[in-house]
Amino acid sequence: MAPLDREKPEERERCVTGVDALDNILNGGIPRGNTVLVTGSVGTGKTSLCLEFLVHGALVGENSLYISATESSEKLLRNIIPYDFFDRKLIKDGRLVFLDLPVIYERLGLEKPEFDFEEINILIGALGDVVDELKVKRLVIDSITSVCYRLKTQENIRDFILKLGSMLSARGCTSVLVSEISPAEERYSLYGVEEAISDGVLVTGNLERRGDLLRTLQVVKMRGTSHSRAKYVLDLTTVGVLLVPLLKGGSVAAGGG
Amino acid sequence: MTVAAVVNEKLLALPEAAAIALRMKADHYFDVIRALLDMFVEKKNLDAIYVTSTIPSASILNALEVLEIPLSHVWFVDSISQIMMSSGQKHPHAIFVESPTMLENLMLKVEYLIRKTKDRHNVVILDSINSLAIHNNTKILSEFLHILVNNLRSREAYTIIFSMEEYETDEIRNMLNLVSDETIQVEG
Repeated sequence: MAPLDREKPEERERCVTGVDALDNILNGGIPRGNTVLVTGSVGTGKTSLCLEFLVHGALVGENSLYISATESSEKLLRNIIPYDFFDRKLIKDGRLVFLDLPVIYERLGLEKPEFDFEEINILIGALGDVVDELKVKRLVIDSITSVCYRLKTQENIRDFILKLGSMLSARGCTSVLVSEISPAEERYSLYGVEEAISDGVLVTGNLERRGDLLRTLQVVKMRGTSHSRAKYVLDLTTVGVLLVPLLKGGSVAAGGG
Repeated sequence: MTVAAVVNEKLLALPEAAAIALRMKADHYFDVIRALLDMFVEKKNLDAIYVTSTIPSASILNALEVLEIPLSHVWFVDSISQIMMSSGQKHPHAIFVESPTMLENLMLKVEYLIRKTKDRHNVVILDSINSLAIHNNTKILSEFLHILVNNLRSREAYTIIFSMEEYETDEIRNMLNLVSDETIQVEG
């Protein structure tokens, strides 16, 4: 019989998110090079969680890139939580970079509302160049849903995320793709393929319990590590995202969903 | 011997990071608060995180000011002002939770204040188990106390849980016995 230690898979290097409770949930952080889908409805803390992931990365010397597909970086920075640990010097020093996806589209001449196979390759290639040039180790695309609007078919979306994931993983870059879903959605992404291809899925949500609305977070899947699959309640604060276990009150129905 | 002196004497004998159930009559309420803050904030140099679901933080703050108790190391998590639909007077040392039913948010705000006051150790005062029991069922409240107390113990923080004798039930007593290292009975 093989000794117990041989049965243990080799520990993968971790990308420590800097959100203490999340790192505990993930037994040390996201396995480096993973592509993680952060999915949830509006106002559940997806963008704040991603920004904190990038800021902590920049603080420990990992170049971090935020690609905004929906709102301009300028507007985003105006509304950023005034984190105690955030230093604008990170942006000035190029440790933390913000890019607007529409600007990238324009520079690449990708102006059609729908991308074909070739244009997907052009976009992946351009993102790869940016990652190489800036030596990016952490990347967030907020949101992948708006990119998927231009990919239209499930095949194209599958192809894009697979290529993007392997391109980033090969560069040792840990990435987070933000997915927007409506509160009533029973799947984790709009097109239903994103979660299957991603290495990890983090679900944020609003949970109504006896008239109270709680922000929640749950790690549904993370390749390369064991992790808690319990639901946690989160708070967005100036010291960062804080998490505590969702209380069950001895009743399965107490959570309400 | 005054109530404050009796409480002070009992608190002195406590082990580090203990969880204490403090049983009192409503008449002794402010004497007990005064004794606690004197012991933990003044003598032990801790930051006090006062979680109130009984009376609004503004009322306690006013009383502490009248009693000339320094407030620089006292912080409030107030879960009662907003449910009373009062405007919730803003104070730099008070943060608000919408309702005493949002027990997770109480834990989150305590965690937030522990991180904000990271240079000093903490005492967390829960005022009170009886008022929380009005808004929450026993099972969820027990779960809350169990997680909170164990978390605070691991952070080397003291936990003080107020219980008003007049409103105690067997369920509350059992809950307190389960999570507390010691019970202090305030008499005077």
